Parts: sequence; structure tokens; C-alpha cells
Amino acid sequence: MITRNANGATSTAGSGNGAREIAIAVEHLTVSYGPTPALLDVNLQIPAGLLVGVIGPNGSGKSTLIKAILGFVRADFGEVKLFGEPAEKAKGRVAYVPQRGSVDWDFPITVQEVALMGRYGQRRWWQDRTHADYAAADAALEMVRMSEFRHRQIGQLSGGQQQRVFMARAMAQGADILLLDEPFAGVDAATERAILDVLERTRAAGKTLVVVHHDLATAAEYFDRIVLLKQRLFAFGPPERVLKPELLAEVYEGKLRAFMDLAE
Amino acid sequence: MYQAIVDFHSANPHLVKVLIAGTLVSLVCGVIGCFIVLRRMAFLGDALSHAMLAGVVVGYLVMKLVTGQEAHALAMLLGSIVAALITVVMIGFISRVSRIKEDSAIGIMYTGVFAVGGLLASLFADKIHIDLVHFVTGNVLVVRDSDLWMMAWVAVIVISVVLLFFRHLQLVSFDPVMAASLGIPVLLFDYVLTTCTALVVVSGVTIVGVILVVGLLVIPASTAYLLCDRLSRMLVVSALLGVSSFLLGYWFSEAINVAPGSAVVLAGCVQFLIVLVIAPRYGLIADWLRRRQAVPQQVVEDILGSLLRANEPNVHVGSVAKYVVGGHSRIRRALATLDRQGLLRLSGDTISLTPAGEKEGQRLMRAHRLWETYLEHVGTPADELHDRAHQLEHVHDEATLDYLDDKLGHPLRDPHGAEIPQDVVHVVPGAVISAAQLRQGTHATVEEAGPAAAARGLAPGMHIIAGPRVADDTLWTFELPSGQRVELDHHTTDEITVRLADKPDDNPADQPRSASS
Ligand SMILES: Nc1ncnc2c1ncn2[C@@H]1O[C@H](COP(=O)(O)OP(=O)(O)O)[C@@H](O)[C@H]1O
Ligand SMILES: [Mg+2]
Repeated sequence: MITRNANGATSTAGSGNGAREIAIAVEHLTVSYGPTPALLDVNLQIPAGLLVGVIGPNGSGKSTLIKAILGFVRADFGEVKLFGEPAEKAKGRVAYVPQRGSVDWDFPITVQEVALMGRYGQRRWWQDRTHADYAAADAALEMVRMSEFRHRQIGQLSGGQQQRVFMARAMAQGADILLLDEPFAGVDAATERAILDVLERTRAAGKTLVVVHHDLATAAEYFDRIVLLKQRLFAFGPPERVLKPELLAEVYEGKLRAFMDLAE
Repeated sequence: MYQAIVDFHSANPHLVKVLIAGTLVSLVCGVIGCFIVLRRMAFLGDALSHAMLAGVVVGYLVMKLVTGQEAHALAMLLGSIVAALITVVMIGFISRVSRIKEDSAIGIMYTGVFAVGGLLASLFADKIHIDLVHFVTGNVLVVRDSDLWMMAWVAVIVISVVLLFFRHLQLVSFDPVMAASLGIPVLLFDYVLTTCTALVVVSGVTIVGVILVVGLLVIPASTAYLLCDRLSRMLVVSALLGVSSFLLGYWFSEAINVAPGSAVVLAGCVQFLIVLVIAPRYGLIADWLRRRQAVPQQVVEDILGSLLRANEPNVHVGSVAKYVVGGHSRIRRALATLDRQGLLRLSGDTISLTPAGEKEGQRLMRAHRLWETYLEHVGTPADELHDRAHQLEHVHDEATLDYLDDKLGHPLRDPHGAEIPQDVVHVVPGAVISAAQLRQGTHATVEEAGPAAAARGLAPGMHIIAGPRVADDTLWTFELPSGQRVELDHHTTDEITVRLADKPDDNPADQPRSASS
């Protein structure tokens, strides 16, 4: 029931600032890796130009949602539309900043080469890189203040710097939608603020950002809208409507209850 | 030059053939091996080489029965690739639909398909003339012209694929999720790489045999991995190392008259071991040097601590040495390292702390003093306090320190009465923190106040100034805008979150992780 309420809240929330274009529309999305679905019948309409947080306990399907929007995991049912078009037509309009733990930091690749990857979508496969590509990559590295490290192998950076390299790649891509999987995990407070600053500047440039986040304490401060997810969509809307104790208790305590059922 | 080659060839036609074959094969194995190593597919190379036997036998049989040709190279090649792809698809299928994990699935499939090949080979022993011994151990000395053509084609195909699709292969290997978002068919490229692997394995088996072909794939590539920080260079270096291991191994096998296959793989191993020791960044010697240069935690802390206490810009080296255990040269080396890390500036005999050094010094001092306070709190005898704190202080990640600080009620002084420095990581301008972390004299704006705090007059948006702790540091005092002073206990204070004032040009300095960690 709560789900329905929360979805209802969304439509009213959007109407305040006229008709914002819908950047990401997720319709009846179900994704599974095995017998139990990681995402079940998720419906979500994210207006353009907002900074949106995705929260939920471990294993609640946050990364899966991101990967489904990117077209990396196949949906069992349902679809994702980007700016009203099927996701396949909007290839390259979505940039991705992976979870730190899922990157091979020993891969032989330098900071600059990662930033250049952002430009791969702009070139046909037989075309070589141009000066414009290098310029765009360097400008993006400049923006996150990583230029001086451009020839370092990515494993030889601090956690915050590694995060900023992937931010630069997303910037160089010039995408309209940025998806970030736990960018604040394992960085110190100063770096967290620096990353947030880049996110806010990106939003000011009219981009739509979807950020997986694990810290409930700062969620209300950082985001315009919050997606509360645990396999199903529990709520989507402005922080004050989503971060309600009864909703959070249901999403975060549910695990404990299931565990106790097993123990009986 | 050309004439020399022609003369050489007419004098020794077979040797030229061997050299061309070996060079081609070891070159492409080196190139494809890079992807095998980076994608952790070494076991797959093994599986493919074994699956090949079935493919070779079937290809041989089909051509023999259909056209009557013996040992048709192309048919055997196609048979091998098909067998290899079937094996790969089956491995994925079994590990997906059952609880069998991928490594076991590989073990099942490649021995199974190998056994099918062996069975067919002995069933039709009268029809096919495959030397199973050569198949298992390989022999570059019996390379035929048809083999040579096959190897040349494999080299052309594989190298073209890698050159044309370098960016795709790099992205698919490094970040398949992003690749998918750009519309690159990730699964197709997985199969392209598998097919290329099957192709080079087929040509490699001719030279070193089924068992050693994996060595040709992964040894040069792993050696290059220790030397390179870019995939493009790794591919070139690996190809060169592959060729050099072939030439060395072949020369050696001729010299002492042993099987060339084993000698080639052994030469690769020797190259690997040498590089493992001497590689400039990832080698053992480099690692040892780094470790020797790494300054022990204790010395860093002593140096930064004594500079912090001196609290003046230019300190003489001698006055630091007094507080630091270790000889003069060791301290000099430590100072030079800290200078390189940007924690202090050393000019001649005077030292001054940089802002980053000051921050790090306070962090380390805080860790040490929090641990001592904790140890006293849990009842450690006073005479063990110092030693045990030394054992524990290298555990100074932020989560641990936060835990200790909160559990101990945010202490201000350690058991010896020395001040515990403030948390310099979280308490930065503009940060939102718990009011319990505020030290006397700090200004802040209330973001949120729990019920107990609200009852005492605190409300969001209110500007407060932290006063001194009272009652043995267990009560916090705050001055409210009205000038009123409130006293709050730990729990109530923890429920207040405050925002510190922004400083306009806050520039977060974060230190690169040292390469040894
Ligand atoms: N590649 C995968 N194969 C099998 N199960 C997976 C895979 N990725 C995720 N899962 C499962 O799907 C569920 C959701 O995972 P995930 O989206 O990573 O959650 P979150 O990011 O919220 O922690 C978890 O139960 C996880 O175990
Ligand atoms: Mg995740």
C-alpha cells in the first residue's frame, strides 16, 4: 500500500515546476539472476535535471537497477525508457561510475586512458582518437582536479582520487544522465564534499544524476528525490516524504524479521 | 640482406620454416595471452587446448570420408574452433543451470571433450593418422607447409581483430557495464576473444603440444603485466617476450638436443622469473626497496609529533632527533621520505611541517591517545599501557577511531593528561557532524536536535557556541543566541547534528596511496 502512496506522491511532486521532461522511465521492471528476482515490478519516473539518491539495504537491488538502466542486465519483463525513447536508442547518453569494489585496480590503464574512454561512444570503430578527444578528456580531468596524475596507473591513487577519475570519464562522455554506484563509499569527509560539489555542478549544467547511497544520515541533505528500494520500489519522492521512520523500519528491519522466521 | 636470407634459406630450408612458424605462433600467443591474463581466463586456455583433440579428429574424419584428403589443415582447424566454442558454451551453461561452480564445470567439460577425441582417434585408428604423441607434446620440427599457412592466417586474423577493435576489447575487459551502455555487444566480444584464443591455441599446439600451450599464452603476458601500465604497451611487450622465449628456447634445444616445446616454455619461465625480481615497479627488488624506504609508523609519528609540539615553522633536525628512536641516517632517510610525501619540507638542516603533515600528525597522535584512553578504560595495567598502545596504534582507520571516540565519551585528555587532538578528518569547514565532536569555542549551526535537546531550547537553524566540558568532561555546555548556557549529557548531545561554517576556499588534500600498500 505504501508503494502506491509513494508513487502517487511523485506525480504531484513533479507538477510543481511545470512539466519537467522525464529523463528515466522504468516500467514494470523485473530482473532476476536466479529463482528470486533482484528487482520486482519497479515503476519509476525520474524527471530531468534532478539529483536522485537510491537507498536500500545491502543486496536490495540498487546496483541491479543501475545496470538495468544501462542495459547491462537483461530485464525478465518491463522496460527502461530514456527521454521517452527505448533505452537501446539512447546509447551513449548515459554515463556510469562503477562501485569501487567492482573495478580491477590492477588493470594496465592510466588515468588519462580512463577519461578517454568517455569519448569512445563518439567515434566509429575504425576512427582514431582526435585532438578533440584528448582535449575533452583533459578538460574533464581538470574539472575534478586530477590533471597532474594523468599518466598514473589507476591503482596508484587514493580512494577519493580513484573516484574522481571515473567522475571525469562520465564528464568527458557529455552524457545527459549520470549513474553513480556508491561514489561516497570509503572516502573521507573532505573528499565526500568535493565529490558532492562536482555532482551539484553537474546538476546545475542540466544533467540528471542517479546516485546509489548508503548513508541515511546525509541522504536528505544531498538529494532532491530519493528512491527507497528493496527488491520492490518502496517509495520515491522528496526526502521528507521518503525518509519516514515507518517506511525505513519496514525496509531496513524486514531483513531481521525474515531471519527470525528462519530461526523458528 | 635479402640475398643473405635467400642463401640461408637454400642452405637450410627447414630451419627457416621452423623459425617463421615459431615466431608467428609465439607472437600471437603473447598478444591474446594479455587478454587471457587480465580477464583471469588461464584455465580456459587449458580447456580449449584439450577440447581441440576432438575437433581435430572430427575435422580429419569428415574430410577423409567426404573428399578422401588426409589431414586437411583447414578442416581440422575449423573442427578445433567448433569444439572449443561448444566447450565454452557448455561450461557457461552448466555453471548457470546447476550449483556446479565454473572451475569444476571447466574441469568436467575439457576432460570430457578430450576423452571423446581420444576415443574417436582410437576407434578410427585405421582411417586417421594423427600422431597422438606429437599432439600432446608438440614438435616444431615437423611443421608442414599447410601448418605454416594456417599459422600465418591465424596471425593475420588475430592481429587485425586486436588492432581494429582495440578500444572495444579494452573496454569490454575493463568495464563491461559501460561497454553495454555504449551499445557495444559485450557477449559477442567475449566470443570473439574466445574464438581468437581457440585459433592461437590450435596453432600453438603444433609447436609445444596440448599440455604446454597454456604456458605460451600466459607466461609472456604475465611477464609483460609486471612491466607495463598501459594495455597497448603490454600487448607489444608480451608479443616481443613471446618471440624471444621461442628463439631462446629453440636455440637451447638445438644446442643440447632436447624437445623444443619444453625448452621454449622453460625459456619463458626464466624470463618471467628474471622480470619478477627486477621489474622497476612491480618487481621483488623494487618492492623490497620500497619497504626499506617505508618509514615505520612509530618513526613517522615521533617525527610529526615532535614537530607538532615544537609548534614553530623552522625546526632544527637535531632537536627532532632527540625524540625519535633510531640512528641518524635512519632519521635522515625518514625525513627525506616524508618530504617526498609532502608532509614536511626539509631544507638543509631545518624542517617545517606542511599543512598536510600537520593534519596527519594530529590524526596519528589522536589514534595513539585514543587507544591509550581505551586501554585504561578496559583496565589495562598502567605499566603495559604504552606498549599495548604501540601494538594497536597502527589500526587507525576512521571507522575505528570514531567508534573509540564515541564509546569513550569523546575524551579530551589521555590517561597521562595530554590533550587528544580533535578529529581533523570529519571536523572540516562546512561538514555536518555530531555536536559531541565540538570543542570549546567552536561556532556552529544546529541542523537537527533530538527531543531531549529541543526541550532544552535547541532548535534547527540556531547558532551555538561550544563551551567547556564540565563534571569530569561528561557534560557538554553550549551558549545559545539568547546568551543562555545549557548543560547536556553525552546522549542528548549526540542527538544534535550541527553544521560548521564554510570556509570559501577549502581544498581537500588527499594523499596518494603509497605504491607499496
Ligand atoms: N551477477 C549476479 N549473479 C547472481 N546474483 C546476483 C548478481 N548480481 C547481484 N546478484 C544478487 O541480486 C541481488 C541484488 O544485488 P545488487 O543489485 O548488487 O544489490 P545492492 O547493490 O543493493 O547491494 C542480491 O541478492 C545479489 O546477491
Ligand atoms: Mg551495490
